Amino acid sequence: MEEIGKSYKRIDALEKVLGQTKFLDDLPDENFLHAAPVYSGIPFGQILSIDFSKAKSYPDFVDFISAKDISGENQVGVIIEDQPLFADKIVRFVGDVIGLIVAKSPQNARDIAKLVEIKIEELSPYFTIDESRNATEIFLHDSNLACEHQVIRGDIETGFTDADLIIEETFKTSVAEHYYLEPQGCIAFPKTDKMKLLGSLQCPFYIQKAVSRVLGIPLENVEVEQSPTGGAFGGKEDVPSELCARVAVAAQKLGKPVKMVYSRKEDVQLTSKRHPFQMRYKVGVSKSGKLLAAEILLEENAGAYATLSSVVSYRAAMQAMGPYKIPNVKVRSKSYYTNLPPNGAFRGFGSPQATFGHERIMDILAKKLGIDPVEFRMKNMLEVGDETMTGQKLTSSVGAKETLQNASERINNNIIQNNNNSHYLEGIGIASCHYGNCLGAAGWHLDGAGVNIKIRKNGKISVAFGLVEMGQGAETVVAQMTAQALGVTTEIIEILPTSTIHVPDSGPSVASRNVVMTGNAIRNAAEELLPILKKVSAEILNCDQENIEIKNCFAKNLKSERKITFSEIAGYLHLNGMKTQSNGWWHVPELDYDSETGTGDAYFTYSYATQIVKVRVDRLTGIVKVEKIWAAHDIGKAINPAGLQAQVEGGTAQGIGWALTENFKYEHGKAVTQNLSTYLIPTAQNTAKVETILVEDSEPLGPWGAKGIGEPAIIPTAAAIANAVSNATGIEFNEIPMTPENVLEKIES
Amino acid sequence: MKNSKAISVKINGKQVEKTIPTHLRLLDFIRNHLKLTGTKEVCGEGECGACSVILAGKIVNSCLIFAVETNGSEISTIEGIAKVDELSEIQQNFIEHHSVQCGFCIPGMVLAGEEIRKENPHSTRDEIKEKLAGNICRCTGYKKIVDAIENN
Ligand code: FES
Ligand code: FES
Repeated sequence: MEEIGKSYKRIDALEKVLGQTKFLDDLPDENFLHAAPVYSGIPFGQILSIDFSKAKSYPDFVDFISAKDISGENQVGVIIEDQPLFADKIVRFVGDVIGLIVAKSPQNARDIAKLVEIKIEELSPYFTIDESRNATEIFLHDSNLACEHQVIRGDIETGFTDADLIIEETFKTSVAEHYYLEPQGCIAFPKTDKMKLLGSLQCPFYIQKAVSRVLGIPLENVEVEQSPTGGAFGGKEDVPSELCARVAVAAQKLGKPVKMVYSRKEDVQLTSKRHPFQMRYKVGVSKSGKLLAAEILLEENAGAYATLSSVVSYRAAMQAMGPYKIPNVKVRSKSYYTNLPPNGAFRGFGSPQATFGHERIMDILAKKLGIDPVEFRMKNMLEVGDETMTGQKLTSSVGAKETLQNASERINNNIIQNNNNSHYLEGIGIASCHYGNCLGAAGWHLDGAGVNIKIRKNGKISVAFGLVEMGQGAETVVAQMTAQALGVTTEIIEILPTSTIHVPDSGPSVASRNVVMTGNAIRNAAEELLPILKKVSAEILNCDQENIEIKNCFAKNLKSERKITFSEIAGYLHLNGMKTQSNGWWHVPELDYDSETGTGDAYFTYSYATQIVKVRVDRLTGIVKVEKIWAAHDIGKAINPAGLQAQVEGGTAQGIGWALTENFKYEHGKAVTQNLSTYLIPTAQNTAKVETILVEDSEPLGPWGAKGIGEPAIIPTAAAIANAVSNATGIEFNEIPMTPENVLEKIES
Repeated sequence: MKNSKAISVKINGKQVEKTIPTHLRLLDFIRNHLKLTGTKEVCGEGECGACSVILAGKIVNSCLIFAVETNGSEISTIEGIAKVDELSEIQQNFIEHHSVQCGFCIPGMVLAGEEIRKENPHSTRDEIKEKLAGNICRCTGYKKIVDAIENN
């Protein structure tokens, strides 16, 4: 039986329904010390003094940890070195961490932290992209521009001259909070010159580097293990490096384990969010509806430190014009520093924002041309042999048109007729996208990943991999792929917790990388183990290796039909001291990319998607209800179809929240939407019926043909909803969130 | 001790007696004093349902209740739902229907499911969604959770 393509039940589900999974804060407290952050309440200013004498007199006080306690470098910037671990001169956002209070209980640490007195001379802060860009003196860093990327291909002047219609439009998307249910947290365990960290996290190898640098100890002296992680969505990509490094400084100084778990308020105020974008699209088309030229300016609010902005900005730039053929493009993508919490990774990583831009303009163009929006997209959509907007020639696995075809077939019997007097207006909206798998040319040097596969004496197989389970189902698909690769059943696979000690640096668990990277690494490890398994089976069964078939946990002599079990083979290997384990590795092949012009192979392959939504707009209240989503996704091959559906259902739900209700707000840099009654994430009542449509256009470089799904699931949703609301009301909605107030205001004006 | 009180409650069928601070939340009593960590804290404000427990036959948010208020009552937590070696039907359904992702909301969701089934074993999908409105999940989009609770 095939292990791939089966909706195998999640291997972590049993523990989870029993409430037995031990998340970080569920572990027994073995006399840990507890830390709480001391942070700036002011968005921008110079630190004049830090006084913790009041804190010190509190009975449970253990220590105040700050920049002076760092034995390595006071630097935690991920790509650009602009972020001190502990602010010691300047604070740049409400939540910039100045120190930690360490106490004997978490509640006391938090109470004592409030007693630390920090004097700050305030500077006038920048909160918006416009304020930041227009600043003439006093910048957040050397300048207010954190980073920029561009794509320059063809000749836009000629393209616009040839165009019969040119449309220019501005779009805006808002900040979004991950609101993973388990807050950020970690425990640091010091051992003489070593440090072990355990935490709720996505990227153990980032943390290893950050901690080694801050403590001034070699990389190999830092061990990072992931505890079961209660959601992340990108929010635990870079932020845990800060938490872990700070707590590690405390643990190193005090020589005792130190634990820190953020309260929900701290988590919301101190940690990263989705970048708000403001985008200017100018696109020219021929009468017949052929895209000819695009000039695009993407501006991103980076927040106080660059963290991952540079790669978010890169991805948005590379995908700015979507899955369409367009010969002449000029894209500039710029991230600006502001005095808000740093914006970082959030599922889609700049793609949902760019998709909002290109899919809104595609709809506006179609309308102006008088061409059906499906037909207009179909006319321009990429297929094998075409070049992407960066000039990358696509040679395989381009299921874009099939996603559009399959999704649009579903709406044919959903003809909408709005009565001008009715209370509700209905509308349909389409959005298509492409998503570059893995890290792309900008992160190519990090784009390798490993596994370690061990055949145990008891006939089970254990697998350690370098990427993580954070809820998406990674462990289950890794088990399935291992079973498939070795001819055994998924039941006998055991997955070890992800730790830096089992596998080499596998880069970050982001960019929908797990299936592709780990799957290929598994195949690589199996290439080494399979010949051994065959050889041993042939020895035991006394036949030629060519006659051996290994399947379903049995090795069979195809001639005599004699069989032995996988347990027998495992026993034999161990008894004879033979090879029982293998390290697999896979690295993304080299990409031919020119960073000057931003042209060439931006990513090694793309997932494609089209989502079509049906909405109902309440004309009197402005409430938008998403009734149905047809989500067609080209994922190459579904390793676990039910798990994949679950990704699509969860991703679209997050997309609905971002499009309609999640209205994150700051006042003078302080988050005012700190709880679930002000920051409205979707409940069971306001998610939609979702029909997942799988398109399996096999990718030759993907394991068993597979590509990533984690992020594509959310990318087109908000754009499709905005298109549907525009369709329903006849008014162009170019900004999200489309809260009832915003919708009503537009309808009434 | 001032500000402390002795209480006696039956948790998952076991009688426990403890002297606890009067301001201790039921959630902290369960997690920190009884070491039953299946019950989760997410919002701490009664908005998410992750801290759900069954108190005197009714589902409640344990972050909003002082432990001393429960003196003399019977409480079930997620740890008390499965009978030795046997999952409840709802728990089994959560596994079968792929309703579980990160798992952080799941104890609360399972308890909510138990409650919904008990109140009306044949609730419609819309009724289930309405009753789940106080339980937040950020991973699943709820569809597969409703599938697990629906009796079909
Ligand atoms: S933690 Fe009690 S309702 Fe959220
Ligand atoms: S499964 Fe992650 S929050 Fe529900």
